[in-house]
Amino acid sequence: MKMIELAFLNDTFGTMLAIMPEIMLIIGALSIPGLFYFTKNKNMCATAALIAIILSGVFAGCVILDSTLSCTFMNIFKLDMFAAVMIFLFLIVAFLTVLASFASSELSNHVSEYYSLLLIATTGMLFVASANNLLVIFVGVECTSILSYALVALKKNDPRSSEAAVKYLIIGGISSGLVLYGISMLYGLTGSIDIAKIAHGLENMENLNAPFVIAVISLIAGYGFKISAVPFHMWAPDAYEGAATPVSMFLSTGSKKMGFVVLFKIFIVMFAVEQSVYAVEEMRYIFAFIATITMTIGNIVAILQKNIKRMLAYSSIAQAGYILIALAVMSEYAVTGGIFHMITHVFMKGGAFIVVGALIAAGIKENISDYKGLAKRAPIVAFAMLLFLFSLAGIPPLAGFASKFVLFSSAIVIDGVVRTQWMWLAIIAIINSAISLYYYAKVVKVMYIDSGECNEKIVIKKSHLVAILLCMVFVVAIGVYPEPIIKFCEGASGILFGKC
Amino acid sequence: MFLVFAAILFSIGLYGILTTNSALISLMCVELMLNSANINFITFAAYSTDGIASTTGQIFVIFTIAVAAAEVAVGIALVLNAYKERKTTNTTDLTTMRW
Repeated sequence: MKMIELAFLNDTFGTMLAIMPEIMLIIGALSIPGLFYFTKNKNMCATAALIAIILSGVFAGCVILDSTLSCTFMNIFKLDMFAAVMIFLFLIVAFLTVLASFASSELSNHVSEYYSLLLIATTGMLFVASANNLLVIFVGVECTSILSYALVALKKNDPRSSEAAVKYLIIGGISSGLVLYGISMLYGLTGSIDIAKIAHGLENMENLNAPFVIAVISLIAGYGFKISAVPFHMWAPDAYEGAATPVSMFLSTGSKKMGFVVLFKIFIVMFAVEQSVYAVEEMRYIFAFIATITMTIGNIVAILQKNIKRMLAYSSIAQAGYILIALAVMSEYAVTGGIFHMITHVFMKGGAFIVVGALIAAGIKENISDYKGLAKRAPIVAFAMLLFLFSLAGIPPLAGFASKFVLFSSAIVIDGVVRTQWMWLAIIAIINSAISLYYYAKVVKVMYIDSGECNEKIVIKKSHLVAILLCMVFVVAIGVYPEPIIKFCEGASGILFGKC
Repeated sequence: MFLVFAAILFSIGLYGILTTNSALISLMCVELMLNSANINFITFAAYSTDGIASTTGQIFVIFTIAVAAAEVAVGIALVLNAYKERKTTNTTDLTTMRW
């Protein structure tokens, strides 16, 4: 897939092109504290962060437009179509987060540190997206997680924030310990930490041995924490509720996707593509089982929630369950659906969190009952919230429907034939979507039908409005015309399965 | 031999996190888990006959030590922050948010 000739970029940057997006973000992150020191202007910091993100996006965008540009840096970073799509996704997340933090009332005075941490956390994600090597994946994931602990705790004077940060820290620590132990086992088995070499080394493995089983289990558990799959999900609602809303949005749309990128890289590229690794079938059933309980528990517990951020957190757990279907089915079409759902999830869940943040900045509390009569007080924002929630539930003309359609149908139609092996998974997912409509519709009912005590108009800040409108446009546009995005996702999953 | 030692160390770390009430002891247990994996790496590197593979393991350990140091630095700051707000580092007292 090649649209524009951009070969001159390879001549200009050489192999450095592979890490140019990361370099741009690091320059931005390092210069923001200095900028704040000299100007003492908060908006200047946010603008600098936006500029760094856009510059970085330009390089990732070039690779998306001209897929012949793919190049490697010292054999550990590879900027190919999959990496570029994921980098673009993470940069969109960072962009929306910065827009949402412009006028947020929840952040303390540490503005320059906040943007700096945010950009470095994004850099960690980009490293993971283009990594070719378990060392880079481990360090990138840790880079993002350690900085997100700090970001969660950044909301000063709120005991919930510090409590959430401690819980997140301890659970994140267990996860990194497990992951490292698993990687050490894989290194012991194959003598390498390069993904392709490990895949090659495992091919020669004759029978199932204990180190391999330990490695698989600890990798699933360790990265299961990162994507907040049940039973490793307990940190997610607390962290999302305790953190400032832009940070919750960053965690739910960004750092969770990073966990999926790692799982795709490890379990598809390393274990599945060769199709000869022992126990792939068992792994697929493990993922199917985790997917089932993740979406069921996420959706059922979400019904009980009274705090909107906590409800969105549980719904985000349920969405992780849907994306896990891609890992259970492990066909190219399923992974396309998984990547597509990751992209649409950014806009719908990100949009919903931005709406919550904008309303908090306008003085409305986080409980669902505080949203009474919102349709009269803030018609645009209420309508946007309605679109995002219906899109999350999968109502037809919106983006959530398109991606859920691709994802669920991939469990039924495998290689162009209707197979019964994973059909039960699709049926459970569809039932779960129906359950989720209940609690989304409850919020809509509170906003549109219940009348509140107060009828004053709510004034929403401009930057919030821009971010909300951006998400709205994408949610509607992807839902109506999904073909171009699906094409990019197909290119990305084709790379994972070793085709170009 | 060393692998058994690492496995025991890992188990002690995991057991400690799951049973302790203190946030600080949890951090120490995380260190134990990371270091047990480091011992694994070093053991595999020492018994490896391939020069490149051996160096890979040693370099991995250096990176892990740096990551662990960063994690503890941030972690202790967060526990201190929680202590300032709540006057406790006991994880069983952190119960504002549940379910």
